Amino acid sequence: MALLFASLFLVPVILAQAPVTSWDETHSFSWEYDFESGYISTSPLFIGETLLVRTSGHAEPSVTAFDLSGTKIWDRVNPASTNNDMSPLLHVQAGQGECGSWPEMVLVGWTNGLVEALNPSDGELLWSTQSEVAGWGVTGQFALDEEFVMIPTRQGIGQYCLADGQQQWWSETGLGWRNGVAVGETGYFIGDEAGQLWHVNRTGVATSYALQLGKIRHAPLFTDAGILIHAQSDTGSTIAIFDSTDAVLTQQIPAGPSPAIPVRQGEYIVTGDSSHMRILHCSSVCIVLDEIAFHTNGEIRWFDNGQIFAPSNLPDSHWGFFTFDGQDNLTYSSIETGLYGYGTAAPAQFSDGVMAYTAFGNDQAVLRVYSGLEESTTPPTIDAEIDWGAQVLIFGMFILLGSSSALLLNGKREWFLRTSSLFVLVIVVLIIPDLSSQWSKSFDEQFPEQSSPEEWNEQWPDAWLGTQIVIFEMDGEEHSFGGFVGHADVLSLTRVACEELDFELSGESTELGWYIDSINGIEGEGWEFSVDGAKGIISVDQSTVHPTSIVRWTPV
Amino acid sequence: MFQAMGVHGPTLSPLTSVFLDVVLLGCAFWLLAKPTKRPIFDSLFMLSLVLSVSFIRVVMQPLPNVQPVTVAALLVGAQLGARRGAAFAVLVAMISNIFMGDGWWTVFQAAGWASIAIAGSRLSLVTSTGINLGRACMASIFAAFWFDFIVSFSILDGTIGFTEFMVYLGHGLPFDFLHMIGNLTFVVWMGGWFTRLLEEDPSLEEIEFTVVNGHGIDG
Repeated sequence: MALLFASLFLVPVILAQAPVTSWDETHSFSWEYDFESGYISTSPLFIGETLLVRTSGHAEPSVTAFDLSGTKIWDRVNPASTNNDMSPLLHVQAGQGECGSWPEMVLVGWTNGLVEALNPSDGELLWSTQSEVAGWGVTGQFALDEEFVMIPTRQGIGQYCLADGQQQWWSETGLGWRNGVAVGETGYFIGDEAGQLWHVNRTGVATSYALQLGKIRHAPLFTDAGILIHAQSDTGSTIAIFDSTDAVLTQQIPAGPSPAIPVRQGEYIVTGDSSHMRILHCSSVCIVLDEIAFHTNGEIRWFDNGQIFAPSNLPDSHWGFFTFDGQDNLTYSSIETGLYGYGTAAPAQFSDGVMAYTAFGNDQAVLRVYSGLEESTTPPTIDAEIDWGAQVLIFGMFILLGSSSALLLNGKREWFLRTSSLFVLVIVVLIIPDLSSQWSKSFDEQFPEQSSPEEWNEQWPDAWLGTQIVIFEMDGEEHSFGGFVGHADVLSLTRVACEELDFELSGESTELGWYIDSINGIEGEGWEFSVDGAKGIISVDQSTVHPTSIVRWTPV
Repeated sequence: MFQAMGVHGPTLSPLTSVFLDVVLLGCAFWLLAKPTKRPIFDSLFMLSLVLSVSFIRVVMQPLPNVQPVTVAALLVGAQLGARRGAAFAVLVAMISNIFMGDGWWTVFQAAGWASIAIAGSRLSLVTSTGINLGRACMASIFAAFWFDFIVSFSILDGTIGFTEFMVYLGHGLPFDFLHMIGNLTFVVWMGGWFTRLLEEDPSLEEIEFTVVNGHGIDG
């Protein structure tokens, strides 16, 4: 009997989430360099054991190199820079192409249009070229395309040979700012301040698409759903998916003001803005998996080890450290770097196999480097990675299975029934969340619910026609907000509606999905929802919505 | 009478809640009102039984729809009879829901378990040699679906039609299955022990009566 209860009570323990390891506990301060004036507006760059940092916004805009102990190795100053230099430094491996061969180098784009190739070990100038200037020169992110580097200029894009910096062609686009380039199969994509997305083919022929969503201040990201843009408007921003084949916007997800530069790993995208960090999964469509309140406006870095860092661009703020569980949960913790205040530069990481170094810089032009044991060699992390509860459960399941077989063969029917029923019960308890979810979806498809659809309210603005709308019933009044597009589930849609209406939304994740506890401080006996008039039966994160769905929330 | 309608059926006003609790409690005491030979012992035994099973229900709450009360109601009905089985079911539903959430559904849970206890008293689950395991397993399987079906009526609030109710029942089938497996497990693990626990020891008067009666027949 003890076995029965031990097995059953172990299940919820297994299903509970393990605590997240704190970055602060595994990393310690190594060294600091104070540039005393200017800003570090873009990520430092590790090239082997050399750390390169660019500063600007002061009399001597420069690129400075340090070794791992913090000793300055060299610096390269460009007093002609018109500031602020925020084009990320680009590391190029040695190689060769049709226009010649080149050594390992770092490419630096300056706001006075100068582009320099430097030897990372000593800062020696390998070549330089002058690009177009229209008030400013280069502010965006370069991209490599075989033996060429694609350079976004203030009002265009140019193709340059890596071997000698010779311009192959330059094509005019719109006026850009922090306008990074993305390299695709058919050529290059770049955005501008007028909200146009430009496609430039490999011979320099440019085509523009007027998305009219706002300023595009990052290199577009290629996803299976289409090209992802996080466009900045006067009042907010929009995460949009553009189908370049049909030249149409297929998805628009409203987001907060002043977007950060989104990053991608596989099918997952992380975006940020002044209100939230979001993680999206993009396959045939992009779906917002999770979002966390956080204020970030610059670079986000998603390292291969799964760690996601984002600077908080607020006075006296800390850095955000995020981890993604690979399912639908983004977790956040604040990390202590000793740097406070405004910042837009992502950190850089380097590992020598034993120690991992992380370099942070911010708008106070202070560089701080932290070090810690490489995760795979850190004993506490190894312990944390092993889920002992799961191991014990699996062991117990093997025991039950083996016992059942032995008891059956020995003809001990009653004990066979005991062990086998317990085995089946544990299995069913473990699979019930997924099983019920899939069952409900299939059931809904087979037996679509007959319901009275929500009717259009004549008082709603016409702009909401054909979009997703959310209605909250509170104290006998209806609070509605619409105009949403691209949301795939009730949770995502409700979250964004609550943001717009300034309602506080609280809920909890259960084994059966998300459960909403309170909306705008009202808990009542719970909340229930309907989608297009049909009562919600499964959890909010599993209840899907259509592009024109109306979701109604009612307190019980 | 009702404050609002919801997925768990109507939300009760405080007055209605108290009224229903009084009715349920009244039913339980009426069912227990049958005179017994050992009233204090029987009352204490029933009280400890109700509290223990309620406690087990509360602590097993994290496991969705694994309901030890269903099997307990079945076996209490089988061993102690329909009246005490039904009283046991009503009291467990009320006491455990104090911790798990009281409401309109308590009435349906009480009705579901009480009907299972009554069924248990009629199914000859216990013989002179102990529990009839095969029959008890079958009964526990049907009891799971029956209880879930009865409790599903609690969502009817006047706005749900027949088709919607059927769809609601259909959505719950995986959880009915889990309830069924849970019942089966409880029966095979604890059925025998629980049945023996509930077995009433005959009083000295009963033993004497049996012996004298036996001698009389023999003579």
